[in-house]
Amino acid sequence: MTETKEESRIGVFICHCGTNIAGSLSIQEVMDYAKTLDGVVVADEYQYMCSTPGQSKIIDAIKEHNLNGIVVAACSPRLHEPTFRTATQEGGLNKFRFEMANIRDQNSWVHMHDWEGATEKAKDQVLIAVAKARMLEDLQPKSVPVEHSALVLGGGVGGMQAALDLASAGIKTYLIEKAPTVGGRMSQLDKTFPTLDCSQCILTPKMVDVGRHPNIELRTYTEVENVEGYIGNFTITLRKKARGVLDPTEALERGIIGGGCNGCGDCAEVCPVIKPNPFEFGMAPRKAIYIYHPQVMPLQYTVDFDACVKCGLCVEACGEEKRAIDLDMVDTFEKVRVGTCILAIGYDFIPIEQKTEWGYKRFDNVITGLEFERLICASGPTGGKLIRPSDGQIPKKVGFVLCAGSRDNTGGVAKAYCSRFCCMYSLKHAHQIMEKIPGAVPYLFYMDIRSFGKMYEEFYYRIQNEGAKFIRGRVANILEDPTTKNLIVHTEDTLLGRPVAMEMDMVVLAAAIQPKPEAERIRQMFGVSKSQDGWLLEAHPKLNPCGTTTAGIYLAGVCQGPKDIPDTVAQAEGAASAASIPIHTGEVQLEPYFAQCMDEICAGCGMCVPQCPYGALALIDKEGRTVMEVTEAKCKGCGTCGGFCPGGAIKMQHFTSPQICAQIDAFLLKGGEY
Amino acid sequence: MARVKDYGNAELEEKLRDTYFYTTDSNPQFLEDVKKISRTAANMCYQCGTCTGSCPSAPRSSYRIRLFMRKGVLGLEQEALNDPDLWLCTTCYSCTDRCPRDLAPTDVIMAMRNLAFKYDIVPRNFLKTVQLIYTTGHGVPNNDVNRAARVKLGLPADPPTTHSYPEFMPAIQKIIDHYKMKENADRILAEEGQ
Repeated sequence: MTETKEESRIGVFICHCGTNIAGSLSIQEVMDYAKTLDGVVVADEYQYMCSTPGQSKIIDAIKEHNLNGIVVAACSPRLHEPTFRTATQEGGLNKFRFEMANIRDQNSWVHMHDWEGATEKAKDQVLIAVAKARMLEDLQPKSVPVEHSALVLGGGVGGMQAALDLASAGIKTYLIEKAPTVGGRMSQLDKTFPTLDCSQCILTPKMVDVGRHPNIELRTYTEVENVEGYIGNFTITLRKKARGVLDPTEALERGIIGGGCNGCGDCAEVCPVIKPNPFEFGMAPRKAIYIYHPQVMPLQYTVDFDACVKCGLCVEACGEEKRAIDLDMVDTFEKVRVGTCILAIGYDFIPIEQKTEWGYKRFDNVITGLEFERLICASGPTGGKLIRPSDGQIPKKVGFVLCAGSRDNTGGVAKAYCSRFCCMYSLKHAHQIMEKIPGAVPYLFYMDIRSFGKMYEEFYYRIQNEGAKFIRGRVANILEDPTTKNLIVHTEDTLLGRPVAMEMDMVVLAAAIQPKPEAERIRQMFGVSKSQDGWLLEAHPKLNPCGTTTAGIYLAGVCQGPKDIPDTVAQAEGAASAASIPIHTGEVQLEPYFAQCMDEICAGCGMCVPQCPYGALALIDKEGRTVMEVTEAKCKGCGTCGGFCPGGAIKMQHFTSPQICAQIDAFLLKGGEY
Repeated sequence: MARVKDYGNAELEEKLRDTYFYTTDSNPQFLEDVKKISRTAANMCYQCGTCTGSCPSAPRSSYRIRLFMRKGVLGLEQEALNDPDLWLCTTCYSCTDRCPRDLAPTDVIMAMRNLAFKYDIVPRNFLKTVQLIYTTGHGVPNNDVNRAARVKLGLPADPPTTHSYPEFMPAIQKIIDHYKMKENADRILAEEGQ
């Protein structure tokens, strides 16, 4: 055991946490026990240690008893370690001279009905914490400078809002979008609930703004290839996919003055290749050189090289002056350095055809909510005329299947969670049908109507008042009349207590949503966890909903969990605010838990280097010897290298081998000697 | 409309009749009629159950006012009007007082009774009440026991109604005749062989 340089003078403070702790174990017994421990000079208790008087007890005791170590037995360090560290510092000690024993989450809450057992366990916890406190050292947090720029991944409404906020706060922001245009899901919607604003109308000003903002570097048709670095100093490699079309700036770089794509569309007119347009879910055609819709940002065509036959007709049509089309273009790479990143990568719909009972893709007149949006949209494939896919007739009775794959624990493609916006958009669809088709009746088959937002319940009231019919029952199955292609919807009217078989002209499925398939690769690159349901995991569901457990990475929008547009925009603004704090502070403090190489012991074998999950280790030459060096800002203090080093040359600060051994000894020997 | 299976046996047909609610079972005009007569937006009912919870009849019978609201919304005319429970409402108006959507379920029930009468669907006791009002001006006319009790309390044997002022009877009969209530009541009871 290493000798301690100074005599240990430890103060132990035990928190009642109201009755959270005091209701399950004997505070008095634990305190009396603490007083008997080696090095403990004072032990005290208080109802709420985190309160101002509780903290004052620590500050006063440090001064009165000349303490050099503090132990608080209370809740989780995740909650109050910062609080008590600050108190330790205010008492005049280095703030890392503090150790916490979690006698609430790990003891009183789990052993609520075992008074004696919990009391004994709390004594052990205090004993172990005191053993460590005797060995604690002064540590200095490390400061690293922060790059004055940010990256936002995803150009939907959330990503655009976050980018605009960051850029308007004076931060250079890279906005990355994998599609040829920004806009995301919202640009596919016809109207928005509950105000019935035209979705494109309220979105295009933002699309134009991100294109024009002097602080936004817009990169469309671009994906993230690689992420390196840490908060304040990320280096991100972008893959700019071959678009086949030059914008005016790129044209100028190639010496084509006044050239580049101006969006005239002459190319698409002559293109002989016709493909289904994925923006319209295949309900409209597009050419191999295309734009999604007239309001795209940037207004620049894109060549679909999977479909292009390289006939060159478009190049000819584009002309010698613009010379915007380059059919030999290849992907290019770009590295950008940013301080913080926001992920706003959005969502997909589940493959609802795999819930075969509803017959999607089997019955012509069963469509999804998003297909409905395109069919009812004036700029959609039918010019806003809602028609049945089977015969082009106007439907009079339209059924809406809510919770189609949501709130469903059967596994497969089904999702246990509520997709959160389907109730509201189905109400909106019902309104649109009654507005556009005189005499049409929408039938909403629902389990619950969740109209939770501002003015949402009022919207539900309005739609019911307009004549929409509500059948409380989850749709069991749908059958098709093979002659008329009408659909028979089966459920129970649970309010009537009767089975239902209703004939509909058309059925719209409010399909559940799920994370994008590429979300997995992206989260691994950025080091973000996922929650049980697959959505990206926030740092704390209530108190840190925009942050992640990786410093410098923030989340916005549905990629963190189902959200409607107002919630997405609100979270985007929150994420932008959180992401701008380190940038505006100019530096971040890192916890000094990094590994340290003891050069005199290190043999320079290099076996630790590939073990490090964060790429923080490297071999260097130092005074004629090869030794390992730690890039402290990259090190997360995981201890992999320290545990692995065959020579014991790596010291994990704040979790040193002597400190951990002292804790183990204390527990096994119960304070006795070897 | 329930599908006919053609068992060739009316009794079996009825026994094995499917209970599905089909789109064609709905008569949308029924909801419109109910709304017009009751002057309440019956279509706005969201089936919370406050009405049944408030109802003094519900715990003592199979009467569920919520179900009548539901049948009204769905246009299940025959089912609503043929249900004998329709006549169990005491018109206390507790449901109307408490309805969170500010509807008047009591008035919906009254509207349905009104419509039921057009189909001659009225319980016999209600028809007898009509006859009694026509002849006495009272649904429950005074009787000897009651008269004795009134006298014992120091009241006149007959209350100050048509019992004391029979000269008003023709006016009451005129109103009832206008709506052909007595005529219909007599006819229905006669058809029943009464």
